[in-house]
Amino acid sequence: MARNIFEKSRTILQKASQLIENTMIRPLNRKVSTQIDNQQASSVGIHPAAFELASWQKSVLSPREAWIESLKAENSEEKRIQLLNPTVFAHYPRIDLLFKNVRWQKLYKHVSYANAPVRHEISRSLKKPWPQKGMGKARHGDRRSPIWIGGAKAHGPRGPKTYYHELSFMVRLKGLSTALSMKLAQDDLHIVENLDIDVDDPKAFEEVLDSRLWGPSVLFVDDTDFMPERISLVTDKIPHYNLMPVYGLNVYSMLKHTTLVLTVDAVKRIEERMLYHLNRTNMPNV
Amino acid sequence: MTSSGVDKALSLVRNLPRISFNNLRDSVGKRKPRERCRGRYGGKTHGCGQKGSEQRQAYMRLGHEGGQTPFYMRFSKEPYYKGWHLQREYLPISLHRIQMLIDTGRLNPEEPIDVTQICNTKLFKLDPRKKQYGFQITDEGADCFDAKINLEVQYAPEHVIAAVEKNGGIITTAFYDVMSLQAAVDPEAFFKRGVPIPKRMLPPHDALVQYSDPKQRGYLADPDKIAEERFILSQKYGYELPELSQDPLKDMLLRRKDPRQVFYGLMPGCFVSLRDKKVFAPKDEELKRFYEIN
Repeated sequence: MARNIFEKSRTILQKASQLIENTMIRPLNRKVSTQIDNQQASSVGIHPAAFELASWQKSVLSPREAWIESLKAENSEEKRIQLLNPTVFAHYPRIDLLFKNVRWQKLYKHVSYANAPVRHEISRSLKKPWPQKGMGKARHGDRRSPIWIGGAKAHGPRGPKTYYHELSFMVRLKGLSTALSMKLAQDDLHIVENLDIDVDDPKAFEEVLDSRLWGPSVLFVDDTDFMPERISLVTDKIPHYNLMPVYGLNVYSMLKHTTLVLTVDAVKRIEERMLYHLNRTNMPNV
Repeated sequence: MTSSGVDKALSLVRNLPRISFNNLRDSVGKRKPRERCRGRYGGKTHGCGQKGSEQRQAYMRLGHEGGQTPFYMRFSKEPYYKGWHLQREYLPISLHRIQMLIDTGRLNPEEPIDVTQICNTKLFKLDPRKKQYGFQITDEGADCFDAKINLEVQYAPEHVIAAVEKNGGIITTAFYDVMSLQAAVDPEAFFKRGVPIPKRMLPPHDALVQYSDPKQRGYLADPDKIAEERFILSQKYGYELPELSQDPLKDMLLRRKDPRQVFYGLMPGCFVSLRDKKVFAPKDEELKRFYEIN
């Protein structure tokens, strides 16, 4: 009985490990023989074929799916599906990680120039205002004291002060995957084939996206930093449509823009980089 | 169908307002308001009490009772930590874990697996400075272990040895002293130091018995006696001992380190230059004698 349970758990673990391996981009010590569909060969997702996994394991490991759309006018062509790796696009919604990332992005560049002069920095005379005794007045040494109007500030800011700090690598990484997962879960993530458009007028382009209810602000992400000419000229005029290469992807921008549009190349690159860093064992001190 | 917690959370989020800067918050308890030293409760003496040595910051040492024999001096000491600095720790790894590492490609069963290979997976943190002298293999997963490996660890109980040998593998227990272990655990960092490879020291008195015992497959034991014990164990646990001589991986399985050797293929006294990709061996006779190079 115990042996059967062990054998069963062993086969499940073997299959789970094969699934995990297929999601990882990592040099293997030896070849793993698994059957992968032609369609999934290009993507990093796994198709949960007839593996004997528990249903919760299946749901965790199953890839998410998104339509591959187009920025051009809609046509009646058949749409393809892009499989999205669950580790990257179905991360647990860690709001606190998003908070940390946004705060870090805003704060690490911040320099506070607030500076309150101390009593020896106030430009006022050091003359004793009136004699120590006999005046019926309080005793004072100079008019620079914090008690005096126009005097120093006792425990004020002593700037300039930097708020530079480093957020740990995993917090940044998981913040990115949380942001991507939340965008996908809230229907604010769209995958497109490429950034080619068929209109030259910014207003016309805006109408195209409005008709699809693609939020007031849209962030277009591609794997390259040489964007196609047409979309570059059109989005140049529209401040709330922005183009970004994958290396510029960050939590702040993803939350700032209501809609996130990724090209198929961008998805591939993001998955590859994220999974590499999540699974590597030779992490330097970051 | 039961869905995972992640699915439930994401489906919840789906119906909530769009995530934005005004929806974010830090984890509970992370940000506390600063305690002010002003006002009725924080001000006046600012937590320092009234007069006396405490307000004047002239504290007595901790435990002092004004001259009375303090509590910590009233009783005799107990030898709780006697010999603590001599105790050796071996980090446990289960057979199940070893199998998983082999299945996921982190350990190569076609090469001998020793401390260096296990540490190279970077999944284990072995610190020789913390009296951690290596790894021990525990029996969890012994029932379904089916890898044929040449394993060199620091301790393995009898049924673990049986589980490994049943599949045609070889298990050896070997001792590494602290300096040799520091080299073995992180070879790259060691080679970058530019220090010659140390010769492995013999085990201390209390460990000599263990490492000379053929029953525990000690590296100092007589190989003939080990072969005998292999047979006896197979009889005890009721499995047929696979023929090593017929095995295609025979050379790899029979590969063993010299008792003074730290790395396979490298003799003590050698320098390894990673940049030049060269190994420098000592030529001086005295050095050779010291490092016991034949």
